[in-house]
Amino acid sequence: MRTRLTTINPGRTILLRGSVRPGILVQEAEAPFSQLPNDVFVLRWQGLAVDMDLCATMAAEQCDIIYQTCGTQSFGGLDRGRTLSEMDEELISMLSPFYTPKMNYAATPPAAMLTRVFWDEPVLGPILIQRDLLTRTASVLVYSYQEQGE
Amino acid sequence: MAANWFSAPAPVIRRARAYFAPVNRVTQTPVLFDPSEQGRFGLDTPPSPWISLGWIQNLTRKSASKTSPLMTGIPSATLEQVRETLQAQISFQFLSWTKLTMALATGSQHMNLLAPASGAAPAADGAQASAAVIPQSGSTSSSIVLSSTDASKFIAGSIVAVDVDNTGQTGFVGSPVAGAYVRQALTDVDYIRRVTFNVALVSQVTSTGLTLAEPLPGGAPAAGAKLQAVTGFVDREGGSFYLEWSALFLLEGSQGERVFFHYPRLQSMSGAEEAVVPLDGKHQNGQSRVLLKGQFLALPVTDPLDGERVVCYRSFLPAANALV
Repeated sequence: MRTRLTTINPGRTILLRGSVRPGILVQEAEAPFSQLPNDVFVLRWQGLAVDMDLCATMAAEQCDIIYQTCGTQSFGGLDRGRTLSEMDEELISMLSPFYTPKMNYAATPPAAMLTRVFWDEPVLGPILIQRDLLTRTASVLVYSYQEQGE
Repeated sequence: MAANWFSAPAPVIRRARAYFAPVNRVTQTPVLFDPSEQGRFGLDTPPSPWISLGWIQNLTRKSASKTSPLMTGIPSATLEQVRETLQAQISFQFLSWTKLTMALATGSQHMNLLAPASGAAPAADGAQASAAVIPQSGSTSSSIVLSSTDASKFIAGSIVAVDVDNTGQTGFVGSPVAGAYVRQALTDVDYIRRVTFNVALVSQVTSTGLTLAEPLPGGAPAAGAKLQAVTGFVDREGGSFYLEWSALFLLEGSQGERVFFHYPRLQSMSGAEEAVVPLDGKHQNGQSRVLLKGQFLALPVTDPLDGERVVCYRSFLPAANALV
């Protein structure tokens, strides 16, 4: 997703732990923050289900992707609707194709595994409005197969 | 040692893709698909002459072949089985309306509504058409060279049909796909352009000709071919013509594995029918999508490998590193 975002919108970045990174992060992999950062995609892993009746166990995990914006300063925030729409489009583009190689990030450097991670189309929730802040949550069911040794 | 294989469960797919290739009706030659050579093509770039029909849904295959036992002995018991009939059916819904998908889903011949001549009397299949124009030398499958007078008769965004005049031909007509079977000579000079599949959208018009948004299925205009504007399409319930095509269906699994169903010869076995599907399942009376429904009968070919008669090939290309 991070690599895809870099291609889709290289300008969407975040300064995190002293370095500029693509504007997407996994909440549980960062230090806790009191409020979500604007104009970036925040991934939150939720429910988990497994199907063990297969020759390789399949895991299905719900991933909520939360993003919010107040628009841009140059437009005084009046473009916040358009800005959120841009993030909608970026998210949909990032999710296609609906698979990616499974990587082992516990290894250094990360190692490609044998199978793919794949997912369904996103379910985009309604826009949540808090004063000038627009927030949307998209849910994606992500599937993967357990490989030997996992 | 790191594992270098995995045990792959049943393929998980999102949707199926369909591809079309014309059957040469005169020589009764279908187009064959070789999964060993061509199986890893890009979904949007099938090998020639296959043409993508886009995504389909509710793909259902049914074998209607019948076997019966050969009984011997007292009391009789099955000695062996014999195949009495060979038949298979396939049905699905197209997720797009195009000339090809509409034509395949209808049970009869499918026609182009040619742009009418000024003041022509109305007709259910389209009125008498305005005069055809002649492509000039240098035309290609995606660029039609015309005189400036002829070019001015077309506008960007219009559809054009390219094929020869009807001069009383009988038999299968239309190129590259036989669009009709003419039993007795017809007088409409535009008849073949009414039934041809050689149509395309005009993306640009200049004083020297037309640029097409996608290539003509039949390639560069053949000698004697002419060009007419098309306003839409029409088909009929009834008639005696059955369109025949070579079909390829692809299920791509989540791990990159591929399942192909290749039917060398398919004919529609039902009339034109649509499925209306609400866009929002919770709002049944709201906006609905109209899908073309197709139901097809597979016809046999003789496999040159061993002389067996077959109606369908199912092939499977496993995912990389998957146990087989």
